[in-house]
Amino acid sequence: MDNLGFVAAGYTLTGVSLLGYVAWLHARIRRARERAAERESWE
Amino acid sequence: MRTLGKLTARPGERILGWAALAALAASAVLSLAVAPPDAEQGNVQRLMYVHVPAAWLAYLAFAVVFVASIAYLRTKRTRWDRLAAASAEVGVLFTALTIVLGSLWGKPVWGTWWTWDPRLTTTAVLLLIYVGYLAIRRLPESPARRARWAAVVGIVGFVDVPIVHLSVVWWRSLHQEPTVLRLGGPTLAPVMLTALLVGVAAFTVAYAYLVTLRLRAGRMEERATREALAPEPAERGRVAEEARG
Repeated sequence: MDNLGFVAAGYTLTGVSLLGYVAWLHARIRRARERAAERESWE
Repeated sequence: MRTLGKLTARPGERILGWAALAALAASAVLSLAVAPPDAEQGNVQRLMYVHVPAAWLAYLAFAVVFVASIAYLRTKRTRWDRLAAASAEVGVLFTALTIVLGSLWGKPVWGTWWTWDPRLTTTAVLLLIYVGYLAIRRLPESPARRARWAAVVGIVGFVDVPIVHLSVVWWRSLHQEPTVLRLGGPTLAPVMLTALLVGVAAFTVAYAYLVTLRLRAGRMEERATREALAPEPAERGRVAEEARG
């Protein structure tokens, strides 16, 4: 990997990890909302 | 905390998210296209504009954990515990990113992905401390006891943050000494310093957004768990009837 490859890898990894974490948090929020909605549908 | 309450409402959170994205994009343009390559390291030095902000925001995240943990132990208010948990999780992400980005920078410059250098070692210890903090939060204990233990770790663990920063001054280290946060002021060229500070600002906005989102996820999960543990309506009626006797 030439030096620009290291730079590209670093910036890509930064973007992917931040976006990936945001996506994971949104998935957690969605799951919590679904659990609450499921609960409400029983009542 | 009232401001934080406003920020966790959806519109404020969305604005913060878009602001973070815009700031990170602007920082990337400055770092990759505007700042010149380093005289000695060439283009690989551009990793500084993500590696250093990630490290500083990890410090900030754990400082927030430290303050929130003290506040929780003093007041026993769960909002402080929630803030500590959210900031710790984001801090672990930034610390892991710091280590990996440092490794990507170290390979072409030092010829190695890793060395047991004081800065790298103390940063790895920092990561382990806060991974441990997150593990404590998953123990099958009462929420209050978990929060108390986590708060103690959040306070004691923060000791490693100044050790990480000063490790390059106290001990012989491959890692360069501080070039910005140092007595005598920064030694970076002005355009590089500007790109770095914009990167720090962008990561700070990103941190604020991630903590806000994480707080909302935590609140919703707590509420869903609480409701799942509450008895069903029929059961509630039976319990009430038995209580009436």
